[in-house]
Amino acid sequence: MLEIKNMHVKLEEEDKAILKGVDLTIGSGEVHAIMGPNGSGKSTLSYVLSGRDGYEVTEGSAVLDGHDLLDMEPEERAAAGLFLAFQYPVEIPGVGNMTFLRTALNAQRKARGQEELSAGDFLKVVRAKAKALKIDADMLKRPVNVGFSGGEKKRNEILQMAILEPRMCILDETDSGLDVDAMRLVSDGVNALRDANRSFLVITHYQRLLDHIKPDVVHIMADGRILESGGPELALVVEKNGYADLLKKHGIAEVA
Amino acid sequence: MEQQIEVREGVDRETIETVQNMGSYKYGWETEIEMDYAPKGLSEDIVRLISAKNDEPEWMLDWRLKAYRRWITMTPPTWALLDIPKIDFQDIYYYARPKSMETRPTSLDEVDPKLLATYEKLGIPLKEQALLAGVTAPEGERQVAVDAVFDSVSVGTTFREKLAEAGVIFCSISEAIREHPELVKKYLGSVVPQSDNFYATLNSAVFSDGSFVYIPPGVKCPMELSTYFRINAENTGQFERTLIIADKGAYVSYLEGCTAPKRDTAQLHAAVVEIVIEEDSEVKYSTVQNWFPGDEDGKGGIYNFVTKRADCRGDRAKVMWTQVETGSAITWKYPSCLLRGNDSQGEFYSIAIANNMQQADTGTKMVHLGKNTRSRIVSKGISAGRAQNTYRGLVSIHPKATDSRNYTQCDSLLIGDKCGAHTVPYIEVKNNSSRVEHEATTSKVDDDQLFYCRTRGMDEEEAVALVVNGFCREVLQALPMEFAMEAQSLVAISLEGSVG
Amino acid sequence: MTIVEKASALDARLGTLLVPAGGFAARARRDALERLTAMGLPGRRDEYWRWTNPTDFAATEPKPAKALAEDEAPIFGTLDRLKIVFVDGVFDAAASDDLALEGIEIARLADAPDVNWASGFYGTLEAAGQVPVKRPFATLNTVAATDGVLIRVTGKPSKPVNVIYIHKSDRSDPILHHCIRLEPGAELTLLENGPAGARFNGVMEVDVADGARFHHVRAQGRDHDPRAITHIFARIGAEALFKSFTLTVNGVLTRNECVLSLIGDDAVAHVAGAALGDGAKDAFHHDDTVFITHDALRGESRQVFKKVLKHGAQGIFQGKILVKPGAQKTDGYQISQSLLMDDDCQFLGKPELEIYADDVKCSHGSTTGAIDETALFYLRSRGVPVEEARALLVLSFLADAIEEIEDEGLKDEIVSRLESWLARHRD
Repeated sequence: MLEIKNMHVKLEEEDKAILKGVDLTIGSGEVHAIMGPNGSGKSTLSYVLSGRDGYEVTEGSAVLDGHDLLDMEPEERAAAGLFLAFQYPVEIPGVGNMTFLRTALNAQRKARGQEELSAGDFLKVVRAKAKALKIDADMLKRPVNVGFSGGEKKRNEILQMAILEPRMCILDETDSGLDVDAMRLVSDGVNALRDANRSFLVITHYQRLLDHIKPDVVHIMADGRILESGGPELALVVEKNGYADLLKKHGIAEVA
Repeated sequence: MEQQIEVREGVDRETIETVQNMGSYKYGWETEIEMDYAPKGLSEDIVRLISAKNDEPEWMLDWRLKAYRRWITMTPPTWALLDIPKIDFQDIYYYARPKSMETRPTSLDEVDPKLLATYEKLGIPLKEQALLAGVTAPEGERQVAVDAVFDSVSVGTTFREKLAEAGVIFCSISEAIREHPELVKKYLGSVVPQSDNFYATLNSAVFSDGSFVYIPPGVKCPMELSTYFRINAENTGQFERTLIIADKGAYVSYLEGCTAPKRDTAQLHAAVVEIVIEEDSEVKYSTVQNWFPGDEDGKGGIYNFVTKRADCRGDRAKVMWTQVETGSAITWKYPSCLLRGNDSQGEFYSIAIANNMQQADTGTKMVHLGKNTRSRIVSKGISAGRAQNTYRGLVSIHPKATDSRNYTQCDSLLIGDKCGAHTVPYIEVKNNSSRVEHEATTSKVDDDQLFYCRTRGMDEEEAVALVVNGFCREVLQALPMEFAMEAQSLVAISLEGSVG
Repeated sequence: MTIVEKASALDARLGTLLVPAGGFAARARRDALERLTAMGLPGRRDEYWRWTNPTDFAATEPKPAKALAEDEAPIFGTLDRLKIVFVDGVFDAAASDDLALEGIEIARLADAPDVNWASGFYGTLEAAGQVPVKRPFATLNTVAATDGVLIRVTGKPSKPVNVIYIHKSDRSDPILHHCIRLEPGAELTLLENGPAGARFNGVMEVDVADGARFHHVRAQGRDHDPRAITHIFARIGAEALFKSFTLTVNGVLTRNECVLSLIGDDAVAHVAGAALGDGAKDAFHHDDTVFITHDALRGESRQVFKKVLKHGAQGIFQGKILVKPGAQKTDGYQISQSLLMDDDCQFLGKPELEIYADDVKCSHGSTTGAIDETALFYLRSRGVPVEEARALLVLSFLADAIEEIEDEGLKDEIVSRLESWLARHRD
C-alpha cells in the first residue's frame, strides 16, 4: 500500500540532513510501528509524507496505492487516503468542529468524484461514529480543539480518522501527554478502525502505546535511518534496555 | 486565609529595611565648592567659550555652531503628554566647572579631594577597586570602571590603563575629541543627527562633557563601564554627550547613574547618547535615573529631556536598553533601536515611577529595517500621588524587514485616585511575514495582595513596596546585579508617601 | 498646512455646499459653522490623520465612483424590517415603508416640523465629541446635512429599522445626519446597509437614555470606488447598552469614527468591526478611529476590530479609552488584529489608554501577521483545499468580532456576506 524508497530529506532553511535513506513498505491491513529516540527523524517522516512545508526531499520516493505522494499537495494526499494524526492538534477558534469535519469530508469526496454528503446525512454519520468512539455531542459543538484537554484533542483526531476513512493512517506520537486512561480510550478508537483495507504507521518514543495497539512490524529509527526491523518483540527489547545498546551497535553517538 | 494569594517573589526583607532606614531623597545634599561659570544665557559666544574651555579643534566648534544656528530656528516639541512650564533658555548657566579643575588633573591622585569625597558619599568611590558598593572585591570579581561627570566636566575616569591593555578606549568625550578626532568625527551625530529634535540640537551646540567608549573588533570589554552624572551647581543645565562604539564582534555592558541636590528651582538636563553597534557586536546599556524629582508640591527637580539611540548597523548586532526612571520632575526620554543589520536585535526594559507631582513620558522606538530582526519591549509604569506617567512607543516594521518579530508588553499600575497612567503605542507593520504583538494592561495595586502582606505584619507602605517590586520583576532581572539591588530599594523610596 | 491655507480650503469646500436654510436645525447649523470656521479642515500633517489622507474628504468635488451592478440579493433582504431608502442621499418615498410603527416616532430631517424633539438635540453630541480631538468633517456634516432620519424610541418596536443606501450616480456626494434618541427603557435595532454615494459624509448622534438598549449593525456595501467618512456620536446612560457592529468590504477609502461617552453608572458600550479589503482592483484603505470616554462608575467598554487585508490593502486602527477621574471600576477592553494575506499590505495602529482613576481594569492587545501556517497545514492534511482552508481560517480570525452581534439572524446575514467576499477574492 505505502512504499517508501531510499528517502533523503533535508531542512529547506538550512543545510541539515534529517532523513538519510529510509526504506519502508507497509502492506494493506498492516500495522507498523516506528520507535526511536528524540531527534531520530521519525516525526519528520510523518510531516514529509503528509506534505508539510519546510522540508526538501533530495532523493527517493513515496508511493501510496500508486499515487506519487511527493508530487501532491497536502489536500490531494488526504483525498488519496493519507491521514496524519498530529502530535499537537491545532486549535482553530471560531470554527465549529462540525463545520470543520463536514468541510473536510466533502472536500475529499469532491476530489474523489463522489457526491457531497447532505447536512442531514453527515449528521447521521458523525453521530454514529462519535457514539462508537464514546465522544459526547458537546465536543462536536465546540470550536476545533479549542479548550479541549490533551486527551480530547487526540480523541478528536481519531474521530476525524473515523469519519474521513483513510487508507493509510500515521499516528505521530499520539501517546504524548496522555495518561493511562486517555491512552486506552484513544487506542480503543484506533483498534476499532483496524481492518484489512486500512494500514497504520504508529510513531512513538515509548513501547507502552504498543501494548494497546499491537503492531505487526516494529522498526527502530535513529539518525535518519531505520536501523532494525522485527516483530513486536523488538519493542520489548527497547523497553528493557533503552536505545543506548542499539545505537552503539550501529555506531551512532547518543544524542543527549 | 481561604484563598491562597500569590505575592510575587523578587523582593527581600532587605529592600524594606533599606526603605525604613532612608530619607526620601538621600542624594539631596550639596557639595560646597568654588565654581567657574560661563555667563548665563546662550549665544554664539557661549558656544565658542565652551569649545575653547575644552581646547577643541576648529571642526568641533564649527559643528557646534551649525547646531546652534539650527536650534535658534526650532521650537520645543509639544506632543508629549506633559505640562512643561516655559523654560527661559537665557536664564541658565551652560557651563559650570569646579575651579580646581581648571588645570586638567593628569591622574585621579590630582583630583580635588572635595570632588572625590562627593563621589565617595554618593557611593561611587573613584578608586580603582571593585564594585559600585565600594567593597574591595576578592580576586576575579567583576570590576567596574567609572567616568565621573560633575556639572559640565568629567572629573576622572578609572581603570583606563587596564582597559587600554585590552584596546578599549574609555575617557571623557572632551578628551576623545582631542585625542581620537578620527573616531569622533566619524561617529558623532551619525546616530542622533544634529537636527534630530529640539533638545538634541541644543545638546549638539552646548554639550560640555560626557563619556566616550570604543571597543575594538573582537574585544569583550574586560569590565563593566559606567558613568555617574552629578549636577551640583544651581541654575545650571547639564548637557552631556555619550558616544559608544562597539566595533565588529565586540561586547560591552555600560551603566549610567545620576543624582542632583534638592533645590527649589527646576534644572535642565538635556543629554544625548549615541551607540553604534557593528556586525556581531552587543551593547547593554543600563540606567538608574535618580535625578531630584522635586518636592511633594512639584517645586524644583530636574527636567530630564534626553535623546538616546542605538544603531545596529551590522548583521546580528544586539542592543539592550534597561532603564529605571525614578527621579526627575519631568522625564522626556525614548531610548530607541535602529535595527538595520539583518538578524539584529533590540530590547527595551523599563520601569518608570512617577510619584507626587512628577511627570514622565517615556518609551522606545523599535525601527525594523533589516531582515529577520527581533525586538522586545517590556515596560512597567507606576503612578502615584498626583503624577502622570505615559508610555509612548513606536514599533515600525518596514516593507523590507521581512520575517521580523516584535513583542511588546506594557503594564501600568495606579496607586491612588489622583494620578494618571497612559499608554500611547504606535504600530506600523508593512509586510506580512513579520509578526507584531502588543499587550497592555492598566490596573491598581491588588488589594488582596496588600491585605495578605499586612496580615503577615507589614505596614501599608512596605506592602506596596513589596507588591510593586514584584510587578517590576521582569525588568529588575534584566539589570546587572548591583544595579538591581539599588533599583529595588529606589522603587520603594520613590513610592514613599504614596499610600494613606 | 498653515491656518490661512486651512481657511481657504474650508472656504472652497463651503462654497460648494448648499446649506439648507430655515427649519428647526437652523441655529445648530449656524453654531456649527462658527465652530468649523474656527477649526478648519484637517490637513495631512494633523496627528489624528497621521495614516489616512483627508484630502479626498476635504476636496470640493468628490472623485467619481462607479456604482456596482448588484449581482446578489441585498443584505437583510429577507428580514422583517421597516425600510427607509436613500438613493444617492435623496429620500426615496416609493421604495421606503410607511414610517409609522408602534413604540417609535420617525421623521426626516428635511421635512421635520419646526417643533420637534430633535430641535435641542441636533448637533449637540457632535459638538461634545470635539473635545479633546477635533473632528471637522462631522461639524461640516452638521452644517450642511441635507437629510437624515430622526428617530425617537419610546417602547420596543416589533421590528428593526433599516436605513438602506443606494449608490447610482458616479458623482453623488451625500451628507446625511441621523438623530436617534432612546427614551429610558426603550430598545431599538438599527440596520444600515449599502454605499450611500460616490463620497459619503454620514453622522449619527445617538442618545441612549437610562436602561435603554441600542443595537446597530451596519454593512457598508460592496462597491469598489466610493469614499466614506462616517461618525457615530453616542451618549450612554445608566444601565444602558450600546452595541455597534460594522462590516466593510471594499470602498477605496473609508474612515469610520465612533465617539462614545459612558455617562451613567453601569453603562455598557461595545463597538466592533470586520473589514475585508482587496487592493487588487482599486486601492483599499480602511480606518477605524474610536474614542471611548468613561465618565461614570462601573462602565464596561469593548472594542473588537479585525481586518483582513490583501493586495496592498491598508488597515488603520486608532482606538482610545479615556477614563476620567472618578470613573472607578471601569472595565475597558480593546483588541485590534490584522491578517495580512500578502506581503505588500499594511497595518498601522495606535491603541491608546489614558486613565485618571485607579480602580480600573483596562487592557488592549494588537496582533499583526500572516495566516497561521500550522493551522493551514492541519486543514489541508484533512483534505481541505488550500483556498477553502484559508477562507475557513479567515472566518476563524473574524469570529470574535462577529460574536459581538447578539441577534443570531443578523449574525448569519453578516457571515454569509463574509463567505461570499471570501469566495470572490480567492487568488
